[in-house]
Amino acid sequence: MEQAALTFREVSAGYKHRKVLDNVSFSVMEGEFVSLIGPNGCGKSTLLKTAAALLKPLSGVVELFGQDVHRIKPAVRASLLGVVPQKIESPMAFTVLQIVMNGRISSMGRWGALSSRDNDLVERSMIYTDVFGLRDRYFTELSGGEQQRVALAMVLAQDPKIIMLDESISHLDINHRQEVLQILMNLNREKQMTILLVSHDLSLSASISDRFLLMDSGRLIKAGIPAAVLMPDLLSSVYNCDLRVQQDPYTGNLQVSGAVDSLNRRKKLNRSVHVIAGGGSGIELYRRLLIEGYEVTTGVLNRLDSDAEAARALNIEVVLEQPFSPVGNEAIAEALKMIDKADNVILSQVPIGSGNLVNLQLASEALKRGKTVLLAKGIADRDYTEGKAALQLVNGLLTDGAIGWQSIQELMLQLQQHSHSGQ
Amino acid sequence: MGMNDSGICRDNSFTGRSRIRAGLRIVLFFAAVLLLLALSMLLGPSGIGIPDLQSPSGSAILSLRFSRLLMGMMTGAALSASGVVFQALLRNPLAEPYVLGVSGGAGLGATLSILGGSGLFVTLGLPVVAFIAAVLTLMLVYGIASQGSSGHPSVYSLILSGVIVSSICSSVIMFLVSTASVEGMHNVIWWMLGSLQPVSSGQQLLSAALILGGLGGIWLLSPRLNALALGREMAHYQGLHADRVLVAGLLFATLLAATAVSLSGMIGFVGLIVPHVMRAFFGPDNRKLVPLAALGGGTFLVVCDALARTILAPIEIPVGVVTALAGGPFFLIILQRRMKQAWIA
Repeated sequence: MEQAALTFREVSAGYKHRKVLDNVSFSVMEGEFVSLIGPNGCGKSTLLKTAAALLKPLSGVVELFGQDVHRIKPAVRASLLGVVPQKIESPMAFTVLQIVMNGRISSMGRWGALSSRDNDLVERSMIYTDVFGLRDRYFTELSGGEQQRVALAMVLAQDPKIIMLDESISHLDINHRQEVLQILMNLNREKQMTILLVSHDLSLSASISDRFLLMDSGRLIKAGIPAAVLMPDLLSSVYNCDLRVQQDPYTGNLQVSGAVDSLNRRKKLNRSVHVIAGGGSGIELYRRLLIEGYEVTTGVLNRLDSDAEAARALNIEVVLEQPFSPVGNEAIAEALKMIDKADNVILSQVPIGSGNLVNLQLASEALKRGKTVLLAKGIADRDYTEGKAALQLVNGLLTDGAIGWQSIQELMLQLQQHSHSGQ
Repeated sequence: MGMNDSGICRDNSFTGRSRIRAGLRIVLFFAAVLLLLALSMLLGPSGIGIPDLQSPSGSAILSLRFSRLLMGMMTGAALSASGVVFQALLRNPLAEPYVLGVSGGAGLGATLSILGGSGLFVTLGLPVVAFIAAVLTLMLVYGIASQGSSGHPSVYSLILSGVIVSSICSSVIMFLVSTASVEGMHNVIWWMLGSLQPVSSGQQLLSAALILGGLGGIWLLSPRLNALALGREMAHYQGLHADRVLVAGLLFATLLAATAVSLSGMIGFVGLIVPHVMRAFFGPDNRKLVPLAALGGGTFLVVCDALARTILAPIEIPVGVVTALAGGPFFLIILQRRMKQAWIA
């Protein structure tokens, strides 16, 4: 483990008009087994493409065993680094053997002749991945697990020092997944092959990886041993859902369990929340609150406001005012009635102007009536009132006991904590 | 599934019985090619059989039949090999010189040079002008298809823009023909219908050189074409200059198609169907497929030409009519039974 196999130095990369990787730096040491994790679209695949010189970084350097990957000849690069994509597709009816032989393409002679070393590598990698018996079958006729093993055999035939797998095992069923992972572990332990695995199965990765790299929105957020990265709070904020991490009492493996069971756990919540929103700032709030099992009311909203549309679509009780007009006394009275029934009042990240300043007054009225009020932080950036009236009001509310929140995840936790204080 | 003692499978191409069967199939194919070529020498408007070699007219007939055989071999081989490459590079069974607009562009170039040029320029310049026009068309198609995509066009946008550019080319050809002189119109239409009437020996030699060069280039590329069957990205990971292979393949295939068009006009069907049939019999490995498809395409066109000049003699049917009319049903039956060996069904 003395040498770095793959190094990113302040790499930013992406496509024509879209930067995906943002200043990413890390090293994978020779012989390490590293899992790259992060939510969909966070840039994991782009990272692999950049590492394999398919994408040129916009800035920064990618090094393979100390050499700039873009200065390495393709054939040499293929002998250092192999990539197993999510899925390989062959529209034409190639046999398994013909597919695996592609792994030696860069060392073939002019006429595609293979040396005896090439043949040995092809054979050995097919035996290693247990596809030798399939060698005369058509690749397209195989099952998904078999195809993935053939893809691995093809990449192994390159005889690379690092293998990167791009979610190649996520869509396999559990027994095939175990099988491919077992092969990878053997390669790692017996041949000191460096492995970088893009994975969605955090628990499985935790049991086999030396280290985790956690990405979010194109940035590398955290790198370290599984126990250091698999922190419930960190994961919950990155994946934007409630995740728990437990240790298996028998194996000591870390287990990450997702939101689905916690969702079932909460279905029977008998609590109601009033949301003060507007301009589309409430849509995600409504959705999450409903999923978590709260009863939701909202208002005052102008008709035609996108939040009003969303509330109607989600069957949420709502107080409405005419479009483009200031909120009238009738609507305020109705909203107060809703607030009386609610356990908590939430103020979304709605911009406040003179037209809806009255909504803040609703919040302060709620606080006076003993409700727990949760305010989105950062009002200063959303204050469009004259003389910063909104800012003053919000600061007053906070000193009077209202609670600030930053992310929806944080808000959900606070709602849980204050489930009884508001009654 | 015999394992021989020297290793588990030394040869790594086929094992045991399937290997013998594949070898036998190739031997049978060569035998059929020889038989069919010999047969085509016996057919002609002057009658069936070997003409009287003692008489000057007899030997003239035989040498005419032979030069048509050469014309057919060249054109058919070029069209069929070019189809193999387009299908392999674009990973699509519909790809062929016509669909990508290459033939249309070559046709437009040839029409311009037939109508505009004269003498030596027409005979020797025709393949060159056709090739340049075809390359320009391909660049146009590629450029249109690349718009809006991040760098590399999808196969679907390539084919779509190819079809559009192709129809624009044929409209321009029709416009040129309709405004041409009677003589020019006659020349162009006769050429467009497609025929294997021998062209001047100078043009034949030049075309033969271009076609041999194109076929050789493709054959050299063929192992890399196999790797591209799994897509550009995978080929890159395996250490190929994927884009260079792609561009070289497209250029060679375009050279072949353009030369074929300049030599014999617009002959359809060969570039699309012959590669499929050969793939169905011999598998998709391009190292074998390129030479076999070239031979198969040439032989097919020679046989079609023999039929075209004999069936309604002394009237000669355009060979392009025969390729589709006679070849269509025959190949349909083969493909229905063996498509699985070529493309995923």
